[in-house]
Amino acid sequence: MSIWLKNISKSFGSDLVLDDITQEIPQGSLTALLGPSGSGKSTLLRIIAGLEQADSGRVELNGRDVTSVAIRDRHIGFCFQDYAPFNQLNVFENIAYGLKVQKLPKAQIRREVDDLLALVRLEGFADRYPRQLSGGQRQRMALARALAVKPEVLLLDEPFAALDAQVGAEMREWVRSLQHQLGITTILVTHNQSEAMEMADQLIILNGGKVEQSGKPADVYEAPANPFVLSFLGPLTTLNGVSLRPHNIEFCEVGQGSKVQVVDVLHLGFEVRVTVTNQDNDRTWVQLTHDEARKKNLQVGETAAIRQRSNS
Amino acid sequence: MKRSRQALRVAVLTYVGLLIGLPLFFVFQQTFAHGWSALGQALNEPQMDAAIVLSIKVALLAVPLNVIFGVGTSLWIVRHPSRFTAVLDRLIDIPLAISPIIVGLVLMLAYGQNGWFGKTFAAWGWSIMFSYPGIVIASIFVSLPLVSRQVIPLLREVGTHAEETAATLGAGPVRIFFTITLRSITWATAYGVTLTLARVIGEYGAVLVVSGNIALVTQTLTLNIGANFDNFSNFQGFVGASVLALTSIIILSMLSIARHRERKRHEYLA
Repeated sequence: MSIWLKNISKSFGSDLVLDDITQEIPQGSLTALLGPSGSGKSTLLRIIAGLEQADSGRVELNGRDVTSVAIRDRHIGFCFQDYAPFNQLNVFENIAYGLKVQKLPKAQIRREVDDLLALVRLEGFADRYPRQLSGGQRQRMALARALAVKPEVLLLDEPFAALDAQVGAEMREWVRSLQHQLGITTILVTHNQSEAMEMADQLIILNGGKVEQSGKPADVYEAPANPFVLSFLGPLTTLNGVSLRPHNIEFCEVGQGSKVQVVDVLHLGFEVRVTVTNQDNDRTWVQLTHDEARKKNLQVGETAAIRQRSNS
Repeated sequence: MKRSRQALRVAVLTYVGLLIGLPLFFVFQQTFAHGWSALGQALNEPQMDAAIVLSIKVALLAVPLNVIFGVGTSLWIVRHPSRFTAVLDRLIDIPLAISPIIVGLVLMLAYGQNGWFGKTFAAWGWSIMFSYPGIVIASIFVSLPLVSRQVIPLLREVGTHAEETAATLGAGPVRIFFTITLRSITWATAYGVTLTLARVIGEYGAVLVVSGNIALVTQTLTLNIGANFDNFSNFQGFVGASVLALTSIIILSMLSIARHRERKRHEYLA
């Protein structure tokens, strides 16, 4: 199911949160709404879900105008950052909630919930209560609960922000493969650019209630439309007053580039960060691979030269 | 360190013992001082029995009304905040700050035979004061904030995400209220009910003014106890006091058992 957002604006009091957003989210895609906090991304997600009403503009699902359709009739799965578990219900009852609303026969509910428990790898947890689950398990329960009613669209609000780094990385990979397997149109809200780059087929970059740029992650990264996108989508440094990515700088023979002094070398595994200063004491940091750094064998205090890589 | 903690423990126990333990013990001791047959007789005393029945009747109406009002206003204040609800939030506490005797007098002014509303009601043939409705109104008044003060902070804490999720799963507002909202505030509400019940059956001042304190007709258990002491029927008074104290102890124990069960259900698995 494709989603069309047409001229959506929203204010809270005198605060314009969304300013004339028009955007298509293609069928079956995983789209990331990416932006800093206060960019309006969560509000936009809530408007798509019907949890919030836009002041103007329309939301269309597969060509059907749902702007004034109630939440319960939109066929949307929504997962909150805190997973919003129903704490008084156990895992089975949580997942069965939407099916019970549809008044399905008991045997069918049991069968479908069992299938969902297997899908989200929570077999054996049916009788647990949400408080007895880990963060990752709670998130999978919330996903199963949302998927139970066979929504046409899945909306995820900062789904990995509350998880620790390792579990978050596992869940990202798992959610992405689940989305591919099910082919359900999914929108993910995040402020984390690497999360968005890693997961999404399409990025929509929001800032101050406006779309700064949208497109495939690689395209947006390679050809940022403006300084905001450039700075938001990856690390930046300056060389002779020009902003550029730190991996687009290389060390060269003295005389072929700007003369600098090495002030710090940080080994981060595959990545090595070298900080240098020029004679005016302007700092630049350079991102090298482990192999490159080993070949150069840079030492703190050493004099070297850097230049922009020719292929960038 | 250890000694100072022990000293603190002794001090607290002495304080609580002198203030609560000893008087309570004295009440029960006096109740059983004249043997079982005297106690049986006192328990069957018609004025006290009528008073007990009236107290139960008052509680049966005042407590549910207070729960409905308390949960309703809590939801309103938390979910639809406005300047009006901010004022309401503060107004609700007034009954706790005013002396009950003043509450009684104010109700008298409003609902008495010559009161502002009382006149109208009297014209319709309804008498509010010196009768059951007046006692119920006074009881509701003095216990007004006891449910909402428990429920409001919890409603703020649980937030709206669970309810919104239920809506995306197709649930309507009534189902959401009963399956999600109410279940998340059950224990806070139960605690508020306990406090309300204890306050309603224990209220003296406000009820004294509005009821007229007519034995067998508008005398609640607390008023009956007071009347017995006034008439030098101290033993009868102590028996009534024991009934009241025992009721409160039972209510509080029931709540603490229920809370313990609920907590156990939600304990993390080791």
